[in-house]
Amino acid sequence: MTGLVKMVTVSILYDVLRWEEKELLKKASEMSIPVVSVDIRKFSPALGDKRPENLGDISIQRSVGFYRGLFSTAVLEHMNHRVVNTYRSLEITGNKMMTSLHLYQNGIRTPFTAFAFEEDAALRLFMERFNGEAVLKPITGSWGRMIALLKDKFAAQAVLHDRSLMHPIQSVYYFQEFVRKPGRDIRIIVAGEEIIAGMYRYQTGDEWRTNAAIGGRVEKLPKDSEIEELAIKSVSFLDAGIYGVDIMETDGGPVVNEINGTMEFRGTTAASGTDVASEMLKFVVKQEKC
Amino acid sequence: MVEKTTMNECTTCGGDLHVPEDAMVGEILTCPDCGVEFEIVSLVGGQVKLAAAENIKEDWGE
Ligand SMILES: Nc1ncnc2c1ncn2[C@@H]1O[C@H](COP(=O)(O)OP(=O)(O)OP(=O)(O)O)[C@@H](O)[C@H]1O
Ligand SMILES: [Zn+2]
Repeated sequence: MTGLVKMVTVSILYDVLRWEEKELLKKASEMSIPVVSVDIRKFSPALGDKRPENLGDISIQRSVGFYRGLFSTAVLEHMNHRVVNTYRSLEITGNKMMTSLHLYQNGIRTPFTAFAFEEDAALRLFMERFNGEAVLKPITGSWGRMIALLKDKFAAQAVLHDRSLMHPIQSVYYFQEFVRKPGRDIRIIVAGEEIIAGMYRYQTGDEWRTNAAIGGRVEKLPKDSEIEELAIKSVSFLDAGIYGVDIMETDGGPVVNEINGTMEFRGTTAASGTDVASEMLKFVVKQEKC
Repeated sequence: MVEKTTMNECTTCGGDLHVPEDAMVGEILTCPDCGVEFEIVSLVGGQVKLAAAENIKEDWGE
């Protein structure tokens, strides 16, 4: 680097240092990008406080705790600090209902999805609009947890009742048609308007979900312009950032299932052979320069 | 090359916790014997300090 190029210092905001965060730190030092890791659990700002010195020019939000990441980002943005991804983008991508509403509104193909706000209405919706077969998902949450494939009225009744006894957010019922995907789905990592990497995630055994957290196998995604265009379009209503777009293949073409705003990338790095961490850092440095 | 590690004892079961040489503060170690998770809270001159890791919460994920 020459003296004329402004050196951008990047901070990695973390709570648990996973493989991903270590990889970002390692690649940054290999690329001679000044980098610091900041334990966001120790951040306790007050109104009017100046932006902490140790945050550098721009931060990558990597908290594994969704609310911790979301609201620490909100505070930092109010201190005029730049965070990737933004509060607005995290708020939409961290909520499956908001994501579905935006996908539909922007003309992006997504599975048939419907919502209910009370237990009995949810059961009626399940029987009448889904003919008694649907996937029920918590609107926040990840790693495939509490996602239920329901195929029976009485099982659904029991699950919906259990949900009604949990935290009130579990009484916002999100149902989606069960997509008969070909034993796999697709994860694409997008930064800004560029495709970074992609992979297939396979389901194993009689499991219908493909989450790495459940143990699905991964494989490199061959170049596919239809899928790539769909992935780029899927993040067009979000602020320029780094996203993991989940796509399912159907007989009628690919559909977008969800968008992850703080995606993991160990699996994608291994499957695709792309150095995802370095690409993320390049994007973030470019953001700060423009 | 074999990774160099330092040894620590699991406070739950007494099992051997291996701390890899390239370990970093904030990283989680899982006890191979009982599965309890520890966070590395400091690393000074080869001295490792561990604390019980935060439990996985409902909002954890990508
Ligand atoms: N409507 C659906 N039909 C069939 N399979 C689905 C449907 N929705 C989700 N799945 C599968 O279930 C798994 C989890 O889905 P989803 O990605 O929505 O949940 P998640 O908990 O947010 O996961 P993550 O955030 O870790 O990607 C995925 O493997 C996906 O392929
Ligand atoms: Zn132990």
